[in-house]
Amino acid sequence: MAGDRPYTDSVVVTKTVRAITPFVLTFGLFTMLHGTKSVGGGFQGGVVVAAAVVTLAFAFGVGQTWRALDARLLVGVAAGGLSLFAAVALASLGLGGAFLDAGVYAGLGADAVVYAVELVEIGIGITVASVVSLLFFEIARTEP
Amino acid sequence: MTPGSTPVVTVLLALVLGTAVTAALARDLLVATVVFGAYSLGLAILWVVFRAPDVGLTEAAVGAGVTTSLFLAAIAKTTLSRSGPAFDRPRSPAALLVGAAVVVALGATVPALPAVGDPDAPAFADGAAAAYYLSNTADLGIDNVVTAVLVVFRGFDTFGEVAVVFAAGVAVLVVLREVS
Repeated sequence: MAGDRPYTDSVVVTKTVRAITPFVLTFGLFTMLHGTKSVGGGFQGGVVVAAAVVTLAFAFGVGQTWRALDARLLVGVAAGGLSLFAAVALASLGLGGAFLDAGVYAGLGADAVVYAVELVEIGIGITVASVVSLLFFEIARTEP
Repeated sequence: MTPGSTPVVTVLLALVLGTAVTAALARDLLVATVVFGAYSLGLAILWVVFRAPDVGLTEAAVGAGVTTSLFLAAIAKTTLSRSGPAFDRPRSPAALLVGAAVVVALGATVPALPAVGDPDAPAFADGAAAAYYLSNTADLGIDNVVTAVLVVFRGFDTFGEVAVVFAAGVAVLVVLREVS
């Protein structure tokens, strides 16, 4: 994985990756939110998003992709996801429930529990996506 | 017919076993990594056949996808040695003995596992917890019991898991920056 040179010169690979990335990212978000309806969840959706980032790195070069990101940004996003989960967990205290008691959100409206769970899934998803991307770049990149 | 006896399951189990042995014995790490990815994919399909699509999705994304790319990235940073034995001979007989003892001890517990879908398995026999999850999930407006258990009923475990993921990322960052 040489630094500056694109990892591959194949037009097929770069064009394909460019075309499918928005769809894969959308599918990742769909997977995170779909957990309350059917198969899915934050962990799986987060990994799908990270897989899209890794695919970009394979097509356009690890160095180039890493330059668009930043370790500080990724750690910040990861902390943000964890904080979002914590916020939902703590907010149930304010409604008179216990810590992490998502059931009390039922008092806010018909689908409030579902929205709370989906917020938690998004929190899980962005933490997983940023940590997995971070792991890949920390191992693969050759420049600081 | 239980799902354990269909030809599809037999073929998938043979694929998983074959790729597992090949990955363990392959001299070339690149070959081992690619075969390991095929192993994960076979396992993912097997989970879907056994009606655990959540686990199958995770296995396909993490096992076949992310782990393979992490291994490839790590291999790209190492050098290939063609000489020398593929395996280090175990240095101490004590290590060999302990390893064998662990394999035998774990193997001895396998017959004690309940059969797939056994209604008398400890997890279902009492039934109080499972019945509570099943009867209360619909009231929350959530259709997927797995998600309801993970986030609502067992949220503390999941919160801890996400904290571990975050801590692992930060730890890797600290260690690798320290080394380089």
